[in-house]
Amino acid sequence: MLMILTPTMMLLPMIWLSSSAHLWASVLAHSMTIALVSLSWLCLPMEAGWSSLNSFIATDPLSTPLLVLTCWLLPLMILASQNHMAKEPINRQRVYISLLTSLQIFLILAFGATEMIMFYVMFEATLIPTLIIITRWGNQTERLNAGIYFLFYTLAGSLPLLVALLVLQNSTGSLSFLTTQFSPPLQLHTEASKIWWAGCLLAFLVKMPLYGAHLWLPKAHVEAPIAGSMILAAVLLKLGGYGMMRIIIILDPLTKQLSYPFIILALWGVVMTGSICLRQTDLKSLIAYSSVSHMGLVAAGILIQTPWGFTGALILMIAHGLTSSALFCLANTNYERTHSRTMLLARGLQMVLPLLATWWFLFTLANLALPPLPNLMGELMIISSLFNWSNWTLLLTGAGTLITASYSLHMFLTTQRGPITSPVLAIEPTHTREHLLMILHLLPLLLLILKPALIWGWAL
Amino acid sequence: MADYKAAPLASLPKTLDPNEYFNLSPEHRRAEEARAAVRANLKRQYQVQLNNPHRKELVDDPALTRWVYARANPYPHFRATKKTSLMGAMFGVFPLFFFYYVFKTDRDRKEEQIKAGTLVRKFNLTS
Repeated sequence: MLMILTPTMMLLPMIWLSSSAHLWASVLAHSMTIALVSLSWLCLPMEAGWSSLNSFIATDPLSTPLLVLTCWLLPLMILASQNHMAKEPINRQRVYISLLTSLQIFLILAFGATEMIMFYVMFEATLIPTLIIITRWGNQTERLNAGIYFLFYTLAGSLPLLVALLVLQNSTGSLSFLTTQFSPPLQLHTEASKIWWAGCLLAFLVKMPLYGAHLWLPKAHVEAPIAGSMILAAVLLKLGGYGMMRIIIILDPLTKQLSYPFIILALWGVVMTGSICLRQTDLKSLIAYSSVSHMGLVAAGILIQTPWGFTGALILMIAHGLTSSALFCLANTNYERTHSRTMLLARGLQMVLPLLATWWFLFTLANLALPPLPNLMGELMIISSLFNWSNWTLLLTGAGTLITASYSLHMFLTTQRGPITSPVLAIEPTHTREHLLMILHLLPLLLLILKPALIWGWAL
Repeated sequence: MADYKAAPLASLPKTLDPNEYFNLSPEHRRAEEARAAVRANLKRQYQVQLNNPHRKELVDDPALTRWVYARANPYPHFRATKKTSLMGAMFGVFPLFFFYYVFKTDRDRKEEQIKAGTLVRKFNLTS
C-alpha cells in the first residue's frame, strides 16, 4: 500500500519543482506509473480476506477494484485537463494538479482504511479539494450554487454518521473493519437504534446519491471542470456505495425492515431520473442524471444484502465509473470546441469528427449496458437478485432499462447523427490526446469482459 | 417617408413599397419603417459577426440562451396549481406508498413461505 501511497504523496513536490515546460508530461508519466503499479493489487491473493495489511490501511476484494479505479483515473484527469488549463498562469496550473493529487491521496486512504473513523475523516476530506475545483475552475456563475449544494448536502448527511460511529465506538469499543464481520450482533431493539441505523446509512445514501437527496449531483457535475466531473462521477459517488457495503454488515437485522423506503426510492429514482434525462437540453446534465439512475440500481442492490446484489453493485460501480467518466470527457471535447453545453447546438458530429463518433458510439453502448461489457453484468446481477427478492421489482428495473436505452440513444443520435448545425462546421479536429484519453477509458472496460472476477468482490 | 431604400443585405419589404400599398396611413407606414430599420440592424450585426474572419467562437444567439436558461430553471416560476399538485402526487408521492405496499406484502408472503418451508424454488441459482 505504501508502494502506491508514497509515490502519490511525492507527486506533490514534483508538481511544484518541475519546470513549466515539463510539468504536464512529468506529472502524466508519474501518475501513469502509479496507475500501472496499482494494477499489481489485483494479483494479490484475495480469497483470504485482507491483503497488504497493517494496522491502518489494507486492501480487500471490495476495496481493490475501487483503489485501482482511483489510481487509474489520475492520469486520465491530467490528460483531460491539459487543454483548458494551458492558458492559465503556471502556478495556478500547479495548484490545480496539486488539488487533484491531494484528492487522490485522500481517496486512496479512504478506500484503504481499516477503521471507520479514518474512513469517515477521509470521506469528508475529499470534499475540500472537490469544492475548490468546482467553485474556482468551473465555467459558469452557477458554480457557486453548485459548490454550496455539494458541500452542504454531503455534510448534512454525514454529521449523523459521525455521531453514529462514536456511539458504536462507545458501545463496542472497536471500529475496525477487520473485526466487524466477526463481532457479535448488536442489540438493536430500541427506537433509538432505528435512528442510529438511519444515521449510519444517510451519509452514504446522500453521496450515492439516492433519488430524494440527489439534487446536488446535476449541479456539481455540470458546473465542475472536466477533471472535477470525472473524479466526481467515477470515484466520489462510489465512496458512498463502498461505505454502505462496509457498514451494512453490522446493521442487521434492522435492515430487513427499515430498508424498504430506501429501496423504493432508489428504484423509483431509476425510472424518474431516466425520464428526466429524456428532456434535458444540457449534455452534461444528461450524463449526470444518468449517473443518478445507475447509482439508484447500485443502492437497491446493496440494500437487499444478497451475494449477487453486492457483486452486481460492485461491478456496476466500476463499469459505470469508467463509462461515465468517458462520457464526460466526450462532452468536454464538445464544450472545448463550441463553449456551449447545449445538445442541440452541435449536431451531426459524425460527419465532422468520425473517429470521435466511434468513441461516442462505444460509450453510449456501454451506458445502455450492452453485453458483453461489465455494465451489463453488473446490471443483470442486480436486476436478477432484485427479482429474486420480490418479483414486482421487475416492473421498475425493466422500465429503467428501457428508459436508459432510449436516453442513451437519444444522446448519441442528437450529437452524432442528423443534420450538421453551423457551429460544427469550423471546429478544430480531434487531438491525439483526446483519442488516447478515450482508449485509456475503453481498454479496462474491454479487458474486464475477459475477467470480471477481478472486480466482483468478496461476495461471489 | 420614402427614404427607406433597399440595401444589399436588407431587401425592401412589400409593406413599405409605395406602389403596392397606396392606401395605408402615414403613421402605419412610419411604424413599419421603424420596425424594418430595427430588423435590418439586427441582420447587419449578425452578418458582421458571421463574416468576421478572426472570429473563433460561435455567433451568440440570445434566443437560444434564453431558451436553455428557461429549460434549466423552472423553479422560480413554479406555482402550485391543481394540475401541478396532481402531477407531483401522482409521480412523486403515490408511487412510493404504492410500491411500499406491493413490496411489503410480497416479501411478507415470501418470508412466511420460507419460514414454513413451502416456497418452491424452481430456479435454484444463488441469489
